[in-house]
Amino acid sequence: MSIYKRAQQWTTFTRVWHLFDAKWQNPFESAKIIQKYLAGLHKPIYGPSADTGDHVVVINSKEIALPGDEWQKRVYFHHTGFAGGASWTFAWELHEKDPTLVLKKAIYNSMKGNLYRHTKMERLHIYPDANVPQEILENVTNQIRRPRLIPKRLDEYSEEEVEKFPKLIDYPEDYVIQKIK
Amino acid sequence: MVFRTFPLFVRNRGPDELWRKRRILKLSAHFHGRSRNCYSIAVRAVHRALVYATKARALKKEDMRALWDARLTAACEEHKFSYSLMRESLSRCNILLNRKVLTDLAIWEPRSFKSLVKLAWSRASQDGLNGVKELGEEPSGVITRGMIK
Repeated sequence: MSIYKRAQQWTTFTRVWHLFDAKWQNPFESAKIIQKYLAGLHKPIYGPSADTGDHVVVINSKEIALPGDEWQKRVYFHHTGFAGGASWTFAWELHEKDPTLVLKKAIYNSMKGNLYRHTKMERLHIYPDANVPQEILENVTNQIRRPRLIPKRLDEYSEEEVEKFPKLIDYPEDYVIQKIK
Repeated sequence: MVFRTFPLFVRNRGPDELWRKRRILKLSAHFHGRSRNCYSIAVRAVHRALVYATKARALKKEDMRALWDARLTAACEEHKFSYSLMRESLSRCNILLNRKVLTDLAIWEPRSFKSLVKLAWSRASQDGLNGVKELGEEPSGVITRGMIK
């Protein structure tokens, strides 16, 4: 094998590090995208036994958004193995205990249960906020597109933009408007 | 050979037992344990293996197809295009490349594949196929001298 071919082989199979910002994203929708990158399904050289998966660094997992009333309705089951060892934890409870776990479990469950699953999960790095260790952040070379755009809140617009926005009616003078905090 | 009765003639199974068994044991030479050398076990294992081999000939085609589909989906998504639209538009353009050739192009000739995606995309948006508009703007720079129809 010539030096050129060898270098080509290395560069083709190099692991890329991707960044994913989970702010206000649905974890179950994001999991389907992230697991593709972990498995290498985003590359045309993919093979089930070739291990072409990449690393994914997920930030802001504390600010994920579950759809509907899933925070109250979704329940995570755990059993210690002893009699009476079953426990059920609500999603909001689990998120308070560890803000990375809901996303991590969503990604874990979106994968097929085979022997490659643990290897793929090893390449996933989840952080609750934007504080990522430097040695991890310096590897990142790509950002994964978020499935949902983050809408701009009303209090994030400047007063000038709010004034300029066309309005249909004028409020009466004695009408009390609740301020957004 | 002399057969005194008809049942003895029916029971006779050929000139030599050794060669009949040897034919089976050659097929089981790479098996594990007693199914390699003990004939009565080996013959059962060989029959099973031949059944598997027959079924696997069809399964291999299915598996390769699934692999090519996975690879081509990835290759199309690299260019923000969809695989189903790609197949439909290429056949409309009368570009009759199969999954294997398209995969080889995507891996070994990524720029040829990119130009195929561009061509398919412009054909898809020209024909107004479902779901093209959601993918965004079609790529510019496809010059075909009206041959795209």
